[in-house]
Amino acid sequence: MSVRLRGSDSSISIRWIPKYTTLERVLHWVHTASFVPLALTGFVLFAPWLSSVAQSAAGVHIRLIHRIAAIFFGGVPIVYTLLQPRRMWMNLKEFLTFDKYDLLWLKGAIPYYVFGRHGDMPPQPRFNTGERLTAVVMVLGTMVFGVTGLTMWFLKGIMPTWLFQLMVFFHDLMFIVTFAMFMIHFYLAVVHPMMWQSLVSMRYGVVSESYAREHHAMWYYGEERAKKLWEEHKAAAEKH
Amino acid sequence: MADRLAMYIDTSKCMACRGCQVACKQWNDLEGYIPGERETHNTGSYENPPKLDPQTWTRIKFREYDDGERFQWLFLKEGCMHCGDAACVDVCPTHALKHGPHGIVTYERDLCNGCGYCSQFCPFQIPQLEVINQVTGEAKSSKCVFCQDRTLNGLEPACVKTCPASALAWGNRDDILAQAKARVEALKAEWGFPQANLYGEAQLGGLGRIYVLTAPTAAYDLPEDPAYPVISTLWQKVLKPVGQIVFAGTIVGAITAFFIARRNVRMEEVE
Repeated sequence: MSVRLRGSDSSISIRWIPKYTTLERVLHWVHTASFVPLALTGFVLFAPWLSSVAQSAAGVHIRLIHRIAAIFFGGVPIVYTLLQPRRMWMNLKEFLTFDKYDLLWLKGAIPYYVFGRHGDMPPQPRFNTGERLTAVVMVLGTMVFGVTGLTMWFLKGIMPTWLFQLMVFFHDLMFIVTFAMFMIHFYLAVVHPMMWQSLVSMRYGVVSESYAREHHAMWYYGEERAKKLWEEHKAAAEKH
Repeated sequence: MADRLAMYIDTSKCMACRGCQVACKQWNDLEGYIPGERETHNTGSYENPPKLDPQTWTRIKFREYDDGERFQWLFLKEGCMHCGDAACVDVCPTHALKHGPHGIVTYERDLCNGCGYCSQFCPFQIPQLEVINQVTGEAKSSKCVFCQDRTLNGLEPACVKTCPASALAWGNRDDILAQAKARVEALKAEWGFPQANLYGEAQLGGLGRIYVLTAPTAAYDLPEDPAYPVISTLWQKVLKPVGQIVFAGTIVGAITAFFIARRNVRMEEVE
């Protein structure tokens, strides 16, 4: 795509690279639109200081909203698996692949995201370490929420009380993990100045060539070349 | 708690007339037998109804006990124990269940949102959940409240008032304990009940029901040493505070990181 600069003859050309399918983007936003009400209505029952909101008819409605949102939240992976099973499987495999570059990413994350030191960031595939960790936690969370939520919903009074108590505990434990992770995800994807294209990619499904090169070098260059460039960059940095 | 009130329940005097069940329903406006809608039935015994339910906050449990020498037909008045350490109060997210005055575990039906945690965390499984709609989750919990509208105004509970055998009494917990201990000694020494014992003095921070039993607790299907649920402690005392610290820490951390990043990130270098 080329953009003509206003009041001049020059133009800049941006090459956009597809990252997400339309279905993936739609499901991402359904996931978000269901997770946020789930988290907020769950938080009302979680935080003792919000008890006034959890009481009587308000509480009944909060529990109802939680259940309606849960259907959409649980429906997202099912719809994705049914409609794009190969994409789902491909992404899942990528989410679960970690190597030594992920340790380097974790080491370089704070210097990079907080202090803007670009040189500290090792090359990354289509999803960086943080994104993959987020995805793994969310996949795990969906499974735990599914099992604990459905049993609490339909088997209360039928299953043994000790089992119900464990379900409540693990539901809340997973809530803490996923909600904290969601806040970090929101900060990096929406608020952080360097990551402005992540929101663009979830809106339009594409990232610019320069963004892909900077943030996902292994995807852009291919794994081998990206690693070679990284080693060269490191060697050059050491010389100086 | 010096002014704690308690109910005295002497199983050696109870004749299972179930006047307490009727008085409870009458005072608390609970449903009894409604032809075609709410049937009652006996289940191989004179026990009726077979278990506590949202409309039955107290009932007489029937058990048969043979210690090898003689047979006893045991009658136990069931209902909320009003524990000193009440798990139901701790897990209730709406404060519908509270430690009220005089150690009574009070319940405000209007505040209940039907989550049912109380019914699942009570070591005696006393609170009963009336499920109105399984799918929407609409429900209401219920349990004996020691006739809080009577007892907090200086009256005795309806069941105590109506008991014709004086098997029930109401008063200061220390006095009730002394009365129960004396009765246990008398049953052992004079009435031929060597296995007579007291139940409720120390369990779960001391119960609000003090039972005089003529047979071992197991014969009444009462838990010998009821335990406060470990998961409740982990959930309320560990997980919830930790969760709130994690959430607050994440928000503060993200805001701090944002302001530091804003000073350090040179946008001209951002792709």
